[in-house]
Amino acid sequence: MTCLTFRNLKYRYPHQEKLALDSLSFTIKKGEFVGLIGANGAGKSTLCGAVMGLVPHFYKGAYGGKILLGGEDEDDAIEVAKTPIAELCRSVGLVFQNPFNQLSGARITVYEEIAFGLQNTGIVREEIRRRIEAVMELLDIVSLRDRNPFDLSGGQMQRVALASVLVMEPEILVLDEPTSQLDPAAGEEVFRAVETLKASGITIIMAEQKMEKLAAYCDRIILLHQGKIVDFDTPDQIFSRDDLSDYGICPPLSYLVAKKGAEKLDIYGWKPHSSRDSQDSRAAQDSRAARDSWFPAEIFAVRNLSFSYVPELPVLTDLCLDLDNRTTAIVGQNGAGKTTLVKLLKGLLSPVSGSIWYRKEDISGKTVAMLARDIGYVFQNPDDQIFKYHVLDEVMFGPLHIGMEEQLAKTRALEALETVGLTGLEEVNPYDLELHERKMVAVASVLAMDTAVLILDEPTIAQDYRGRETLKRLIRQLEGEGKAVLSILHDMDFVYDCFERVIVLAAGKVMGDAGGEVIFHNKELLKQAGLEQPTAVKLRNLRIK
Amino acid sequence: MKTISLYVDKKTYLTGLHPFTKLFYVIAAITAPLIAGKLSGFFLMIGISLILLISGGLLRKALPLVVFTFTILLTIFLIQGLFYQNNVTPLLSLGQLVFYREGLLYAARIGLNILNMLFSFALFVLSTDPFIFVEELERAGLPKKAGYIIVSVFQIIPQMAAAKNTITDAQRSRGLETEGRLLTRARAFIPLLSPVVTSALINTRERSAALEIRGFEAKTRKTFLSERSFSRSDRLGFFLMLLLLSVAVLWRNFQ
Ligand SMILES: Nc1ncnc2c1ncn2[C@@H]1O[C@H](COP(=O)(O)OP(=O)(O)OP(=O)(O)O)[C@@H](O)[C@H]1O
Ligand SMILES: [Mg+2]
Repeated sequence: MTCLTFRNLKYRYPHQEKLALDSLSFTIKKGEFVGLIGANGAGKSTLCGAVMGLVPHFYKGAYGGKILLGGEDEDDAIEVAKTPIAELCRSVGLVFQNPFNQLSGARITVYEEIAFGLQNTGIVREEIRRRIEAVMELLDIVSLRDRNPFDLSGGQMQRVALASVLVMEPEILVLDEPTSQLDPAAGEEVFRAVETLKASGITIIMAEQKMEKLAAYCDRIILLHQGKIVDFDTPDQIFSRDDLSDYGICPPLSYLVAKKGAEKLDIYGWKPHSSRDSQDSRAAQDSRAARDSWFPAEIFAVRNLSFSYVPELPVLTDLCLDLDNRTTAIVGQNGAGKTTLVKLLKGLLSPVSGSIWYRKEDISGKTVAMLARDIGYVFQNPDDQIFKYHVLDEVMFGPLHIGMEEQLAKTRALEALETVGLTGLEEVNPYDLELHERKMVAVASVLAMDTAVLILDEPTIAQDYRGRETLKRLIRQLEGEGKAVLSILHDMDFVYDCFERVIVLAAGKVMGDAGGEVIFHNKELLKQAGLEQPTAVKLRNLRIK
Repeated sequence: MKTISLYVDKKTYLTGLHPFTKLFYVIAAITAPLIAGKLSGFFLMIGISLILLISGGLLRKALPLVVFTFTILLTIFLIQGLFYQNNVTPLLSLGQLVFYREGLLYAARIGLNILNMLFSFALFVLSTDPFIFVEELERAGLPKKAGYIIVSVFQIIPQMAAAKNTITDAQRSRGLETEGRLLTRARAFIPLLSPVVTSALINTRERSAALEIRGFEAKTRKTFLSERSFSRSDRLGFFLMLLLLSVAVLWRNFQ
């Protein structure tokens, strides 16, 4: 039974010349799980918004063609552009790419936030209560019930955003990168939940960057490129295409292996970063030697650090940690305290007890601005970091304030923008950019300051294959320059590929601290911390068996 | 993020009362002395409010309000005592200044009126959760949008404060000095203003999309999560206040 029909849909945002969606025609059957892939800017989010009716009801602009919900027959189908969103939201649900934007702002507890949509649509009270309990259980947020939705970690907020839409039990569920900030276990959990929904007849459209997961769970995949549909087929067909790289897609590793053969890809020879023999690991040895002889450690020394936002909820307890020049990844469950830890290192938060030393100096005696010359920090949510009206001003702000000459600051800023692939957007207002671009603006604005330490909080959010490769290159380059890179990540493939040292944080404690090879073979640890093995490790193990 | 509400959930009988009961108290407390038309009526009413505040453990929170209004009261006494148009009977003089009986009485009336309003309002505001109050208003027929606006008003200040903190963090983490001496902090305040306003505007826009897709504009009657009906104490409260108003009417007519 047909559930969703696109008939020659065209759409252009106001004041734009290019079509964001160009002549889309396809149908989706009831109970199908359709993946949506394409490079950044291909039109995935716009398509998601179109099904929900935000395009054209909310974003206006030029709209042509039709989207029909229900039957293919126009008489008994609902036409999206002619139905108010207030009606559409009974049958369609949309989870935004940025969870912060999904919160209603009208409710002060997570429970009430989730209830909001149900209350508006007049669902009876007992049913509301039953559904909320179920969805909180499903997304593991029962413990957040009475918390203020604005005081949550990024991943916790994303879970609440998901819950607030799932709970409305729409017939068509549209998800725009719903797992981008979730820890691996929770991400997997969402895919499984979606599969259960699908079994109950709900139709799902999901934009996602995680090709492995889409290959495993989707019925069909739409490949989008510059607003046009390149292909709409089963994952097998899509991922066997030879021209995927033209569309900015890297197929799942398993497909690559099947195609080119494991030998050619040298999958057995793949080593994680730590055992790679390069000049970087020499630097690492030096720094290790340094650590043994000096105290506190070369870069950061954290001693008996405890922190809480509110006394009832301790976030970090008695944490001890040394950080040196090695590229270091911090991984762990949502709400484990990763962001909190790096904000403490940056001086943005002050310890409740314990101390933090930067290059053998206690940072409690310094202001954040004084530390800014040495320590750069890219926020998890780029919207928290950006405040200027031109990209170039934004990127020059840091350099100018740490005392660089105007000319040098400009040169640095332009270089940084080039590194992250934003050349040409200098004069644009960052608020008009896409999430992935704003994230890169945030990276560039710290990069331009040329600090000795760079802290990245989930840099891969919203990035496609190309964006992730850009970041990898950047991290390797910084490492080569002898800078210390510290990054929080939920993408284990990325971690395995780029980071020498992996620190596993769980419930405010360090549960593991070693090279990737060691961490990712410790199954017990991975399970406890909500992590998973990188694809390469999984595949290798599979082959060895 | 907190709300600007002064409400503290102390779980006393006062917080347990229905918001409308307390709202009716405010109305009764303000009108009763006016109906009665006696100065002593104000004293009586203020006394009742004070007793209620004390019994609800709210007096300490109410005191700052009194201190705040004290200056206003003082000016009223000064101005009316000295310059009230019907002043004829001098009461006391301080050097050149002569205070008149009529003016002081008039000032006392206004002052007591203000104090009376203040205490009854304090009772309402300190013991009522604004969110529950808005919910009750909506149940009584206030449109969803109006309810949302009232709730937003309670969140404007904390939201602005949150935005200010976020932007300050963004700025100081890139080298703008915002800590330390007053002058430094004052200087850091200016580059904050326009981003705070912009971010508020942008948030409002994003927020409205979020609201729409969750059926905010739906015509259906909203479901309320809690059942809050008038309890026995609420009915008793209403009865007592009606009694109070009748006494006031009688008092006025029997003299
Ligand atoms: N502003 C805040 N006020 C109160 N509690 C907070 C605040 N920010 C975070 N928390 C809580 O502190 C804990 C740690 O949050 P943190 O942001 O450090 O997690 P995280 O490890 O970065 O998670 P994620 O992977 O989801 O980003 C969580 O329980 C979170 O709810
Ligand atoms: Mg975080």
